[in-house]
Amino acid sequence: MAHKSEDLFDCILMADDRFHGEGYREGFDEGTRQGMIDGRKHGASHGAKLSMEVSFYYGFGITWKCLLQNNTDVKSRKRLKALESLLGLIQKFPHEEPHYENLQEDMEKVRAKFRQVCSLLNVPTDFSDYVKTGGSGGISF
Amino acid sequence: MMSWVKSVQYSGEDVFDEDADDINLQDKEWKYNMKKRVRDGYVDGIDHGKEASLQLGFNMGYREGAASTIAIGRLKGIISAIQCWCQLQRPDTPTSVTDLLQQVVKHEDSLMEAMRTALENPIPSVSDVSENMEDLGVGEVESGCCGGGGCSKGSDCCRKDSDMDLGPILPQKPSLSFALPTDPFTITGESLEQLLQCCMDIVSELGLPQELIWHLQKLKSATE
Repeated sequence: MAHKSEDLFDCILMADDRFHGEGYREGFDEGTRQGMIDGRKHGASHGAKLSMEVSFYYGFGITWKCLLQNNTDVKSRKRLKALESLLGLIQKFPHEEPHYENLQEDMEKVRAKFRQVCSLLNVPTDFSDYVKTGGSGGISF
Repeated sequence: MMSWVKSVQYSGEDVFDEDADDINLQDKEWKYNMKKRVRDGYVDGIDHGKEASLQLGFNMGYREGAASTIAIGRLKGIISAIQCWCQLQRPDTPTSVTDLLQQVVKHEDSLMEAMRTALENPIPSVSDVSENMEDLGVGEVESGCCGGGGCSKGSDCCRKDSDMDLGPILPQKPSLSFALPTDPFTITGESLEQLLQCCMDIVSELGLPQELIWHLQKLKSATE
């Protein structure tokens, strides 16, 4: 008698697990699908904005480098040095790598260097304002 | 539960004659409980599934998004620098420069919007996006170095020793081709290629260093 009711309890527990398990598997698949979609959306938005900003600084930097390259005066040399520094920082910075642990830190360094470059170049105020508000939010995060 | 066990142990006519209603109720209760177990399992499954794939999806999307804005970002920087230079060196800034900058910003907005739209709908594979866009008769614009084509296209854009270093070598994964409207009647219609050409024209007009043309040309080759 005891043996028989043990079997019955096992049956119940197994049925319980089985039903839970079936639901779980279906849910897991659906959750995986949703997670991929959500994650990818957020990742893409984040990556695009960051890359947009860094690429902007890079384009800005190489242009000014081209424009000042042949100047030999002290002011230009100082500006060129800052520009080289900016470009160097960007080249070293794997901003397209989501796993990169120093992402925030390096990004701040790049921004600070860009601000320095702008002030050395005497960038007109209205330009700076434009950059801040232009496009998808510009440089102010 | 216990009453359910008890009812199964009985066999014989007694069950059907006297305990019929009782069995029915217990049967319904059993079904209700088991359905609930399935639902509970489903909810647990969803949570765990999401947890596992969210980071994976994020990393994938991050790389795709980052690759897609390189070229337009650089162009924006280039033309902004030119505008800056004009404001400092010349009595006036040519309207061609300010116009181009506005167009670049519009293009950037369109790109972000196209990306959001593409990722809103669950599209199982990246190649499907390109296919769908083609079906709609919308032209494809690939922005960024190696946008979907890898460096096999002949451009040396990924060589580290070039001045126009496009940063670290991009992973050879297909990136999303976010199609932009090429209908001339839409305000966002300028393709990246057209914008780059426009910038090159401005550089020539203003007599700016030839090296800039070279940089722009490299960006242009990457989009072809």
